[in-house]
Amino acid sequence: MARLLKKLAVLVLVVAGFSGMMNAANAALAIIGNPANPLEGISAADVAMIYLGKSDEFPDGRRAVAVDQYRRSPVRAEFYRKVVGMDPMRLKSYWSKLIFSGRGQPPRAVGGNEAVKRWVARHPDGIGYVDGKVLDHTVKVLMIVP
Amino acid sequence: MKKWLISALGVLSILSAGQAFGIEGVRVNGFLTAGATYADTAACQNDAACTAGPGRGPVSQDGNIANQVGFANDSRFGLQISAKVNSKVDVTGQLLSRAREGNYAMKANWAFVTYHVANPLAIRAGKLKLTTFLISDYLEVGYAYPWIRPPQEVYYSNPISTMNGMDMLYRVNFGRFSMLIQPYYGASSGEQALVPQEVVNYVPQMGINPQNGAAIVENSPKGTVAYTDFTADNMYGINVSGGTNAFTLRAGYLKTLVSAPAFNVIDKTATFSSVGGSMDWENIVLYSEYFQRKIEQEANTAFPDQKGWYATVGYRIGKFLPNVTFAKLEDNNNPVGLGYGTPLAQSSVTGGLRYELGTGADIKFEAEEVKPLDGTRGLLIGPLPTGKSHVMIYSVALDLVF
Repeated sequence: MARLLKKLAVLVLVVAGFSGMMNAANAALAIIGNPANPLEGISAADVAMIYLGKSDEFPDGRRAVAVDQYRRSPVRAEFYRKVVGMDPMRLKSYWSKLIFSGRGQPPRAVGGNEAVKRWVARHPDGIGYVDGKVLDHTVKVLMIVP
Repeated sequence: MKKWLISALGVLSILSAGQAFGIEGVRVNGFLTAGATYADTAACQNDAACTAGPGRGPVSQDGNIANQVGFANDSRFGLQISAKVNSKVDVTGQLLSRAREGNYAMKANWAFVTYHVANPLAIRAGKLKLTTFLISDYLEVGYAYPWIRPPQEVYYSNPISTMNGMDMLYRVNFGRFSMLIQPYYGASSGEQALVPQEVVNYVPQMGINPQNGAAIVENSPKGTVAYTDFTADNMYGINVSGGTNAFTLRAGYLKTLVSAPAFNVIDKTATFSSVGGSMDWENIVLYSEYFQRKIEQEANTAFPDQKGWYATVGYRIGKFLPNVTFAKLEDNNNPVGLGYGTPLAQSSVTGGLRYELGTGADIKFEAEEVKPLDGTRGLLIGPLPTGKSHVMIYSVALDLVF
């Protein structure tokens, strides 16, 4: 009986995990962290603060290093519109103010979906955003943007 | 030339340090503004010309805007290099070259080291930009604001643009709201201030009133442009700003002791207070600021107590940002008498249009109507010809950041 329950529990977990993956895979956009990151999730406001250079920490106080996709990436435009709340024009103007007043630099652009995923997989304090289609076990999903 | 060499060497050493320590975090950024101006009337150069018709001549107080097409007033170029030494320390240097300074002479606009003590706190030391107003930090970066030049009724009121010293940046975040507290301490030397022509003739040996030691002020020829070296010591102040992505509110206070040896001004107290805010929400763009300054006698001769404000309203229509600015500069209860200057007063209305040329570039057009008030020449180089109550200044500028 106990064994049956255990099997059942595993089955439930697998199905739940699978459907979770399916959700993630169908999602347009995912905020990802390194698998070593203990956080189970992050709010859009916290992500926005990190990407605008107003915070260099995850909500639990650990260091956060953000990376961007390349400038013309459609995923990038979508991320900034939906999560940060800025269009490319305002974002450029925002960073001009910070860069030339010596108060900060935008996240480094490392490439497209795959490059960001690889970078985050290699950096324990990394945070990035990718198209939900490329998600796999090398990174941890911190937030799904529907 | 010497200064240029020193800055160039500074930048080179930063760059080579970057290579020596193998840091990947070296970033180079730049900005450029190419602008042209034209005024429809020349200011009076002498009393005889005041009744005459239009003649070719300067209009703005520093002589850079005239009633012929000129390129000197707004054209400039800047280059900034920043390098991360380690996760706690980074170095930033900015070189600035302005057409108005003759042949685009390069100078180090600022150069400082930032030490990130712990997450909300950073300390910066070196040559820093002095933050008196909302956009003082990036005054030369035209792309970062809606106008061709920030409203001069407010922005020309503080001739101190940089300081040698240190500041502290302390950030507090609440959700999407972020607040920045910036106390600073330092001194400014080697800067030059435009001296009002009304006091140019005054030099200590020929202009001290033996009764009270105050300056005897004589009128110099209208249209005189003179600069004086000055220092500001024991300068301290604080800026507090807060807001979200869409709006910012700020307040600042600054106190310093100014000296201008050529005018027998030694350690006179000057204070600046300013409040302002900006908004870029949906399609609405707003900017507004107010300042007042109080300056002690002797220094008051050249820099009387003044106050001023401006308000800008703009509305984004796709890549276009039409905007209108109202601004006024006036007397701030300046004492009257020997040794006190005459506060200049003017108002202006500016209609502008900004158009985005992709990301990182824009082109702007402006028409500004400047009206001197209270019988003064305002911020013009001289009075307007008889029968003229205002002058129109037309400007076009291209801004880039890279």
